[in-house]
Amino acid sequence: MRIVIAEDAVMLRDGLCLLLTSRGHEVVAAVGDGEALRAAVQEHRPDLAVIDVRMPPSHTDEGLRAAIEIRRTRPELGVLVFSQYIETHYAARLLADGAHGVGYLLKERVADVRDFLTALERIAAGETVLDPQVVTQIMGAGRRAEALEELTPREREVLELMAQGRSNSAIAEALFLSYGSVEKHVTQIFTKLGLPPSDNDHRRVLAVLHYLQA
Amino acid sequence: MDGRAGHGVPPWRVMAGAPLRGWAWRELAYALTMPLMILVGPVYLFVVVLSVLITTSVIGVPLLALVVLGARGLGRVNRALAGALAGAAIPPPPALRSGPGVLDRLAAALGDVTGWRAVLHGVARLPAAALAFAAAAGLWGLGLVLLTCPLWWQNPPFAAGPPWWRDSALAAALATVTPGTWSGALLMSAAGAALLVAAPWGLHLALAPERWAARALLGPTRGALRIRALEQTRTRAVDEAAAELRRIERDLHDGTAARLVTLAMRLGMAQEDLAHAAQTLPDDTRDGYERLERARALVDGAHRDAKDTLTELRELIHGIHPAALDKGLEVALATLAARHPLSVTLEADLPRRPSPAVESIAFFCTAELLANVVKHSGARHAGVEVRERQGLLRLLVRDDGTGGAVMGAGTGLSGLADRIGVVDGRLAVHSPRGGPTVVTVELPMYI
Repeated sequence: MRIVIAEDAVMLRDGLCLLLTSRGHEVVAAVGDGEALRAAVQEHRPDLAVIDVRMPPSHTDEGLRAAIEIRRTRPELGVLVFSQYIETHYAARLLADGAHGVGYLLKERVADVRDFLTALERIAAGETVLDPQVVTQIMGAGRRAEALEELTPREREVLELMAQGRSNSAIAEALFLSYGSVEKHVTQIFTKLGLPPSDNDHRRVLAVLHYLQA
Repeated sequence: MDGRAGHGVPPWRVMAGAPLRGWAWRELAYALTMPLMILVGPVYLFVVVLSVLITTSVIGVPLLALVVLGARGLGRVNRALAGALAGAAIPPPPALRSGPGVLDRLAAALGDVTGWRAVLHGVARLPAAALAFAAAAGLWGLGLVLLTCPLWWQNPPFAAGPPWWRDSALAAALATVTPGTWSGALLMSAAGAALLVAAPWGLHLALAPERWAARALLGPTRGALRIRALEQTRTRAVDEAAAELRRIERDLHDGTAARLVTLAMRLGMAQEDLAHAAQTLPDDTRDGYERLERARALVDGAHRDAKDTLTELRELIHGIHPAALDKGLEVALATLAARHPLSVTLEADLPRRPSPAVESIAFFCTAELLANVVKHSGARHAGVEVRERQGLLRLLVRDDGTGGAVMGAGTGLSGLADRIGVVDGRLAVHSPRGGPTVVTVELPMYI
């Protein structure tokens, strides 16, 4: 695989390069901030980008913003975002445009070399890889896991398309349903999954996360 | 400062030029407002006494509160005048502080030291004000009269007038000093000029008691100054502590944690290589195989340790400063609510961001209170509300549990109250037996 690494801690960046090249991948660029990452993706057209969330200059979420932008412009590119801790709002923002070829892992998962490499290949193949922490945090320790069982087959179909990042109207088109009935299904899904009425987009992502972790 | 001392100008010119300088005219204007002030002070005192006398009636108390607040306004006017005209720059007294309720405000107004001191000033200044006006009239007024002597000596204006004036002793005295010759008139005129040159200096001296009274009664008290200084140092301390925690968090995150991840990764790679080596080792090197296995066990252990340390470090860093707080209190609270084992509804409405230290306190309070809900209440549902009201950040954490939470020494709640008290915040617990429990936290938006 041709991989771009964006990580500001030099030691970790070098370590990742060593790991990936020693396992037969090609690191086409290793950069230290979001701006350089965008340029590197533009120039090298890699298969996969491994991106640290927190990078200079503001040390908050540059990496995440760059990842979201890159996914918009190049949906076929696999993106692994990793960070020191799992923040649900990071996951929500990252998955807001669909979950195809995205990964979100704790940084320390790099330590389990084989699992990490497998995760990279799955992401490059278009799968979704989420850290177990995401599940425990968002799902309230799996308390609501059985909620998915309650969904009707139709609701499951709708949720599956939501997970692909489709809007309600796109879902209606794909399933030959009216917009109104898709909306009704979505509301039912939210209710059954026990997602409190709040920001609609946020609930949508949470529902998708439920689905992905089932 | 006020231009009385000229730089590089001969002293006699400074002395003689005074009547043409701005400060001299400003002080004269100030002195001329004194008759009005001499009236206002006692009249205001009369109103205060009247309000006190009718406090037995329904409107009495609110009226008295209003009168005290009005005195605050009067004090402000006097302070501004003294600052602008008399050259007495006085720092403003502390602003009126009160709780949100009507009764709170009433109590704050009635006990407002600044207002009462302004009332006192209106009366206590009377001698000083009288002196200032007398000095202005005596020096400037007499100076002008004498200066213009050549214009009126032949036909003294005070010789005319109603009979009571013509027969008065003052008129007689003036008549005796009125010069009878041109040379005498010119001499008087010269004396007037000299008096006018001296007038600004004399008036400036005569205004000293006025300035002193204003400084003593219209500015902040010594206690208020001390409180202000303490508040400023506290704000700095709290801000610095918050910034220091962020710095520590950043150092741990960017330095220590990154190094540990790299270490764990290298150990992971070594682990894999060793496993691979064990598989490819020829069968006849039994001794080498055992040694390899021992090395593998050691590396496995080190790898596990590194990962455990990373987990601990992650929790530690999160406890110091949660990364979500960088995106604001609402985001951080949403994250907190989302990962809570109970279902937590969050209502947040903060149009502006509070100070970082306040955000941090609010966040850790919520975390602690939600943890209490899980530990003690037996609740199934919790709610968090955060909004800005009247310059305060109001945080509400409720649950539908069994209630009975008490504030007491050694409990988590009193620890929280201490933490909140650092920034003058307040914590109120309402938790009847059988529930539900509502904990209200009020913090200033900015410190």
